[in-house]
Amino acid sequence: MSSVPRRKDVQERPSLQEQLRRNDELFKDTGSLFGLKKLGRKQADPGMYEAVWAILLNICNTGWTVGCKVSSSPVAAEGGDALWCLHLPTGEAVCASKGIVSHPGLLSMLIRSYIEYGYEELPGFHPGDIFENNDSHYGGLHSPDFQTAVPIFYDGELVAWAASVSHVMDAGFVTPGSIGFLNPDCFSDGVPVTMEKIGENDRVYPWYEMRIRSRTRTPEWVLGDGRGRLAGCLTIRDRVVKLIDKYGLDYFRDVTREYIEDSRRYAVGRIRTQGVPGRIRKSNFKDLAMQGKRVILPHQNVDCLFNQPLEVTIDANAKVRFSVRGASGWVPFGENITPTACISGLLNVYSHMVGFDMFNWGAAAAWELETPPPGSWCNPYPVNYFASSGVAWAPAVTWLSSLYEILGRLYFSRGYVEEVAAGSATTMTAEFSGVNQYGLFTAGLTLEQASNGQPARAMADGDNSAWSIYTPQADFGNAEISELFYPIMFLGRNVEPDSGGYGKFRGGLGHTAVWMVMNTPGIEYQCGCAGLRSKVVANHGMFGAYPTWPDRPSYATGTNVKELIDARKPLVHERGDPEEPDLVKRIKAKGLEANGIAPFVTPEPLHEYDIIVHPISGAQAFGDPLERDPELVRSDLDAGWTRERVAVEVYGVVAQRDATSGEWAVDQAATERKRNDMRAARKKRGVPFRQWWKAERKKILKGENMASAVVEMWRQSMNLSPDYAADIRAFWKLPDDFRF
Amino acid sequence: MAGYDESEIEKLVDGKLPWTRVQEIMKDAKDPDRIEKWIAILQKRVPWKERILLPLTPCLFIVQKDRQRVVKCRCGQEFGDYRANWKLEALIFVRETEASLREVYRGSEQPDPSWVQIREYSCPGCGVQLEVEAVPRGCPPDFEFLPDLDTFYRDWLERPLPDEQEFADKTLDVVRSWSEE
Repeated sequence: MSSVPRRKDVQERPSLQEQLRRNDELFKDTGSLFGLKKLGRKQADPGMYEAVWAILLNICNTGWTVGCKVSSSPVAAEGGDALWCLHLPTGEAVCASKGIVSHPGLLSMLIRSYIEYGYEELPGFHPGDIFENNDSHYGGLHSPDFQTAVPIFYDGELVAWAASVSHVMDAGFVTPGSIGFLNPDCFSDGVPVTMEKIGENDRVYPWYEMRIRSRTRTPEWVLGDGRGRLAGCLTIRDRVVKLIDKYGLDYFRDVTREYIEDSRRYAVGRIRTQGVPGRIRKSNFKDLAMQGKRVILPHQNVDCLFNQPLEVTIDANAKVRFSVRGASGWVPFGENITPTACISGLLNVYSHMVGFDMFNWGAAAAWELETPPPGSWCNPYPVNYFASSGVAWAPAVTWLSSLYEILGRLYFSRGYVEEVAAGSATTMTAEFSGVNQYGLFTAGLTLEQASNGQPARAMADGDNSAWSIYTPQADFGNAEISELFYPIMFLGRNVEPDSGGYGKFRGGLGHTAVWMVMNTPGIEYQCGCAGLRSKVVANHGMFGAYPTWPDRPSYATGTNVKELIDARKPLVHERGDPEEPDLVKRIKAKGLEANGIAPFVTPEPLHEYDIIVHPISGAQAFGDPLERDPELVRSDLDAGWTRERVAVEVYGVVAQRDATSGEWAVDQAATERKRNDMRAARKKRGVPFRQWWKAERKKILKGENMASAVVEMWRQSMNLSPDYAADIRAFWKLPDDFRF
Repeated sequence: MAGYDESEIEKLVDGKLPWTRVQEIMKDAKDPDRIEKWIAILQKRVPWKERILLPLTPCLFIVQKDRQRVVKCRCGQEFGDYRANWKLEALIFVRETEASLREVYRGSEQPDPSWVQIREYSCPGCGVQLEVEAVPRGCPPDFEFLPDLDTFYRDWLERPLPDEQEFADKTLDVVRSWSEE
């Protein structure tokens, strides 16, 4: 037990470990969290119940505001890429601030882990203590996400926790930055803070600061983020104490538990009233093509393809079960994720797609995740305890995207078309490392990826550059602020036409940033994978749409840009034609990568007047493109959001541009004829599935036109999930001993 | 509890409601009778009489046909028992070469055909594109949605369907009947 003196009545309270055990038993026995069959406080005074919730929400958001302001890094200060939560003494999140909603689950399980590991006895929980973790072996997502937890005491009793997470600029990886896709193993995952007590009496120990200074490349930013996390937590702590002063400890204790059970009931109720029981399956795949690129260790000279299946079953009681059966193996890169983090990721999607008046841990009790195959990318440690999770979020982004479409299909069947989401965008990142315009070493992330296209609904296009899978506050930050932090100048930041897939309703479009390197003796551009596809496209052809295209950045080195500027000739401000991009048309360069397969780090530093064209993905589309309202196509043509070729060849819309006004007009009769012809062509070129199956089966047996990464992926998936392998063999009628 | 006229729901599903009204509907508690109005709207738009039990996609519906439950396109084309993947009865066209991909994806927008196939499933009756898959060779077609219809109608809507059927995936039963040659 804690060495803190306690009141007599408090001393009789069970330990936190005992409370955890009882909570688990009560949930198992009653089906309700904490055994709450009734929400007594809510029933007695619903007005106060709502009012106190609003106060707690404001307290958490105040923690976010204070914490982000105290932080010095652009990720937190400009992008708000952080989160603050209030938790029960046993860890369950009660209330979360705005910010990165992938983390309330992780913070909940972090505090639970402290208790399960016996920290209540040693080192004990005391007022003013500060705990921290960034180790994925013990509940972290990936090491750049530092998690801080502060116990909240009232009259000598631990009554709650304030916790926070923020994404630091440099995690001390083997390579600079915070998107550690290149990390070969956990030994390259940077500075570890493994479930530590890092301070007491509201002050951080000096040796913690020494470690950050000696083991990260941007210690001022990393320490600034730490101060921000702490400041936000202390803000929450102090205000929660005042709230208890006002409403009483008994009320606080009761109502915080009720909020969590209320949230669980909401999640169950939403599925029951707006979903359909049954089984939903969605395959998805994500590439990581690294062969021939700059890597850390020789065995990383390999192409990988992730198999990311998602099966959802919903029973008569609206209990949801998730399975990743068939997942491929761990990878020798920083793109492995733990089951704990997967749970928090699922909670992230619930925050978008199921929606909450009270978003907290409760929804996680509304579903179960079947233990992912041991040794897979989503459960690596049973086979490889030293697997890297440098950017563990990367595979989660492309895997979780399936859940948007899955829930969208359920809502569609019930007629709730306004709630459908066709699938998320990807999150390709850009980091710079080198000497900046102030003559100082810098390493850090831009915020371009934090604002994607929004998934299409079943009755409307998605919004452009207004959505992010990991935060409701999609915000790519001000270009001018990014230019203060990094030695770059924006030459363009434009909506990218047709980047939201092709469908009856298209996904929101992404944007393309064009940067010119300036005022540096040399800087590396790391086109990072925080969840991208570059060889393949997403399996998101929802109801007949075409998925949005792969992520393909480009850059030019040793350019003639200065001469072009001096001569006042056109520069590069957007990507342009995918077959003859502006970078190729307008720039002469010694080195030119016009169609880069992401992710990668530039082999050599970039210098003055070098150019980078960095696209940010749009989201996924919905429905047959031939059913798109021609008026929407015309509107997109006018806005420059679709191209004439796509209008004609994909949407079947015939339109002419007025030479004087520049406006487009649709030829309705020609469009109708064109679309009829295209539908007839489909029937002519399409073959009965059974006929294709026979031919395809033979190609599978021969391994025809299958990249090595594809073959290796199937081998891993079938080894790790024998029942999944049996299904594949049965479908293609392959021999029992067949291996790819 | 919110409730809307069928005409308003019809405008909503057709994308004809003003966005401000759509936002009100999104923010409000959901209307519990939506599925009845949704199915009524869809039913009056199809040229056939079988009762729609559940919409699967904008074009495909599970319908009650005599004592069977089959998947049916809005054009009338049928795809068999809803418990077997309807894709087995569809037309398929696969883009797996640079030339065929180029009709949709060009230049830097084109995926690598040795890593992924673009499979287009269309209706043999009307040519509508029903689903598109982007998967590597070897991946069986996704059977996206196998609803537990009897549980849904009996326990959730409290209107049991006649002739309860086993909730089971019948796809492999169909494949087993196929000859490899």
